[in-house]
Amino acid sequence: MTNKEKLQNLIQDVFLLTSEEFRFDLKRSEVETWDSFGVVSMAVGVQQTFGYHFTPEEATSIQGVDDIIKVLTGKGIAFD
Amino acid sequence: MITLPSIITLTEAAQQLAGNVVVWCTASVAERLRALVPWPVQTEAPSLDGADWLLAVGGGSLIDQAKVLRAQHSSVKLAALPTLWGSGAEASPIAVLNQDGKKVIRMGAELVPDLIVSHPEFAKTLPAELIKHACGDAWSHALEGFLSPLGTDETRADLAVVMKRMLQQPIGYADAWFELSALACAGQSKTSVGLVHGIAHTLEGVIGWGHAKLCSLYLLPVMSFNQTRSPKWPYLAEHGLDDVIVLNVMRQLFEPAVYAEALPLLKEHWMKVLRDPCSRTNSALVRPADIEFFESFQSSPVTP
Repeated sequence: MTNKEKLQNLIQDVFLLTSEEFRFDLKRSEVETWDSFGVVSMAVGVQQTFGYHFTPEEATSIQGVDDIIKVLTGKGIAFD
Repeated sequence: MITLPSIITLTEAAQQLAGNVVVWCTASVAERLRALVPWPVQTEAPSLDGADWLLAVGGGSLIDQAKVLRAQHSSVKLAALPTLWGSGAEASPIAVLNQDGKKVIRMGAELVPDLIVSHPEFAKTLPAELIKHACGDAWSHALEGFLSPLGTDETRADLAVVMKRMLQQPIGYADAWFELSALACAGQSKTSVGLVHGIAHTLEGVIGWGHAKLCSLYLLPVMSFNQTRSPKWPYLAEHGLDDVIVLNVMRQLFEPAVYAEALPLLKEHWMKVLRDPCSRTNSALVRPADIEFFESFQSSPVTP
């Protein structure tokens, strides 16, 4: 499974989205379950899936799936 | 450091609480309480007009309601006497209320009681099963708070000290449980709870079992789930807690037949469990497919 596929599965499971609802340009403001609890859950899921622990500042500043990719790419995790 | 409100005995409270004291208690202890305090005792939500103190005597539900009631009367002081340990409501800034069949969680410093009143005698006559579930409730606060993704080095160190003392207690009556339960809840209130509470909050309304019973029942399955998934699990060993010993305590609380009875409802309400705020701050991510773990869960015997 590629990292893009892992991320898609993770985001769908964390925010309880269907594959039809998921997009790589999905924004936090479009997802009802991406509230403060969702931020915690997403950070836990990223740590379990990619081994990277978001700082609190990173976790709260993320405004969309593309921001998650940017942070993880910056840590050497490839999404090509 | 975990701090608790000052603790005094009921005898001391009867002598020291000054002014107009309003007593609100659960019906099961009303008669015994009337023989112990010099104030009128009510079993319905009281008016606090003109009151100086509200003494709330009961379980977590009544104390949480009293906390919210007092918060509307800032000049009134609140003394909380838990009739059994477990909820830790007497020590926390959190109140969980049942509103229209939903759990509503309130949080704020104004909800912390000013005083804890101790009178363990009420618990000594309770059925062994309730006592056991109360131990599970206290353990669920300590463990979920310790493993919380919102935990810090400080909260983990504090709760590790509490859990080491809890390991010295029986799964049964012991006076020490009152203080330990209050410390566990006050410590947990600085972090979060997790899937044990998410399941309990969801199933309480559909199965009709109490919160403590559900927390007690699901501690072992949820901690077994966390053991292989949570990035925080290794902190137990780092803080001198042997997870084999901790899981053995959970095994004493686990009831396989009761678990099997509740499993169909857990499956039916699993997506609701996932939406519960507590599940979403679990130590390990909980996914829709993880219901399979709980469907196949079986406890191994207690390790000698």
